Amino acid sequence: MDSKFISQANLLDLLNDLRGEYSVLVPVRKGESRFYEPLAAIQTQGEMEVEDPQTPVDNRFVIGEVRASEPLKAFFFQAKQRVAENYQDTTPTRDAKPLCIVGAKACDLKGFKVLDTVFVGTDYQDPFYKKAREKNLIISADCTSALDVCFCLALDLLPHPQDNFDLNLSDIGKDYVVQAGSDKGAGILEKYASYFQEAGKDQLKKRDQMRSGVEEQVRNNIQTSGVPGQDRLAGVVQSNYEDPLWKEEAETCVECGACNTICPTCHCFLLLDQLDNRDLVRYRLWDSCLIKDFAKVAGGANPRPQLWMRLRNRFEKKFDYFPKVNDLYACTGCGRCVLACPGKIDIRNVLKRNVENVRK
Amino acid sequence: MYASNNPYRPIRTEILGTIEETPTIRTLKLRPDEQISFDTGQFIELTVPGAGEAPFTPSSEPSVKDVLEVSVMRVGKVTERIHALKAGDTVGLRGPFGSGYPLDEFVGKELLVVGGGCGFAPLRSLMYELFRRSREFKKLLFRGGCRTPKDFLYRKQIEGWGKRDDLDIQLTVDEANGDWQGNVGVVTTILDGLKMDIHTGMVVVCGPPIMMKFATMKLLDLGFKKSNLYLSMEKNMSCGFGKCGHCRIGTYYTCKDGPVFRYDKISDYPNIWD
Repeated sequence: MDSKFISQANLLDLLNDLRGEYSVLVPVRKGESRFYEPLAAIQTQGEMEVEDPQTPVDNRFVIGEVRASEPLKAFFFQAKQRVAENYQDTTPTRDAKPLCIVGAKACDLKGFKVLDTVFVGTDYQDPFYKKAREKNLIISADCTSALDVCFCLALDLLPHPQDNFDLNLSDIGKDYVVQAGSDKGAGILEKYASYFQEAGKDQLKKRDQMRSGVEEQVRNNIQTSGVPGQDRLAGVVQSNYEDPLWKEEAETCVECGACNTICPTCHCFLLLDQLDNRDLVRYRLWDSCLIKDFAKVAGGANPRPQLWMRLRNRFEKKFDYFPKVNDLYACTGCGRCVLACPGKIDIRNVLKRNVENVRK
Repeated sequence: MYASNNPYRPIRTEILGTIEETPTIRTLKLRPDEQISFDTGQFIELTVPGAGEAPFTPSSEPSVKDVLEVSVMRVGKVTERIHALKAGDTVGLRGPFGSGYPLDEFVGKELLVVGGGCGFAPLRSLMYELFRRSREFKKLLFRGGCRTPKDFLYRKQIEGWGKRDDLDIQLTVDEANGDWQGNVGVVTTILDGLKMDIHTGMVVVCGPPIMMKFATMKLLDLGFKKSNLYLSMEKNMSCGFGKCGHCRIGTYYTCKDGPVFRYDKISDYPNIWD
């Protein structure tokens, strides 16, 4: 498909237009991090102007840079979701407009791929996730920089989206190269054709330079951390199942579950029932496999009574279960868990140790 | 799974009656507002409003569609509340979930059913089906054990099976007391001298994890094939359809791919008995 070009001013107009149909979420800079906020809120604060992306300012929304701090699952598989009320056979509806996520990065899109497999890709479907996903619009974006913890290339992902988006934006300074990745995205290019121009050779060249620059940064990261590529991960967790490395790595784990909640692919949840004014209300809450009682049964048996077994389980799920059952590793290389862990347990190092052990 | 827009929603269910079976186990007779049909060995999630859910395998006849029974041992938060319920109370029910006993695999074969303790609950439902179709099987054997005679779930009924001519049955208790006249010893002590073809015979095992473990080891020692053993695994099944992640065994979710597993499919995974 041909590449288009959109100016910054036109992009803002486009996003504003899309607000008619979608609830538009954009990444907003807060200090060193980015968080998603509704576009409307930013507008009312008079902060919709996108300034020079090279000089980041707080509260300005950013298309490029790197992934947001929060995983995008938070908007589709919410941390706390009311999933049933009394005995009514209805799906509690979201009255809100479908979501338009702007500036999702390649690692975020891999997160969707994993969660899609879990929630809608198998024999049973989760009606809440399905509903949130089927009408959404994903306007992804190339990374224009990398964090030290970024290691997407190790998971065979490039820091610019390849698939699973509707439109993709490549920040080339003040303006953007645009690519459609789906019929829906192509429809938007058509519907709002006046905002777009054909992308010129120079613009594409700028984009490609930007892309290879970021790839280089991630490659350097990988070299520094020594994280192995996914082609070396097959079977390593099983080979190291009884290895002391799990006990050693778990020494600083405080069982907080931050790695689970921050992970774009972690999908485990628990069901919590409450009586709300005598009505039965059921919530679905994010759960964490690091927590002691995660797999415990009422009779008292616990398949993973030790913390190190639960840490191992996290790796087993992502790097053994998922590739065997769904043919993909449930890791995006986003590095969120590295930054979130108060015990400084580093997934890159754990994988490295696993691979090195096998080679010994 | 039942047709529903929302798999998290429980069906309103009336408790028609309760039966105190043993000091720790009681049976609930349940009538859901919507008819559900289950295969023997599948499980349901029972909701105590406000307290939460717990998984149980129905112990009643699958061919009875409007009423089902579950036998519940008092062991945790939800089951404590279940033991306080009475006829007329309302509970919630989801399911059935998972895959049950593969009855068609047993047709034309000799089949041994080994049970222990609260494992008699799912097995009673299985036995109803086996008796209903007993002419389809070459031979039926039942070996069951309990801790003591007073813990013997459905004792009268199961002892009554001794009068059937389509069943070879032996029972045991770990510790005898009261009027017990039968064998004393754990269930593995009544697995010797089985009058069946060990090499082609099929086996179903259901009971507490420790009993399942030792029964399985004994059966393998006797020469049964791993691929002829079917086990009902007990894990922390919550959502019931392979999403919540709590009940994983290796590459399976117990709720979706089990709870009945052919042993050779899970035997290589560590800690399956814990």
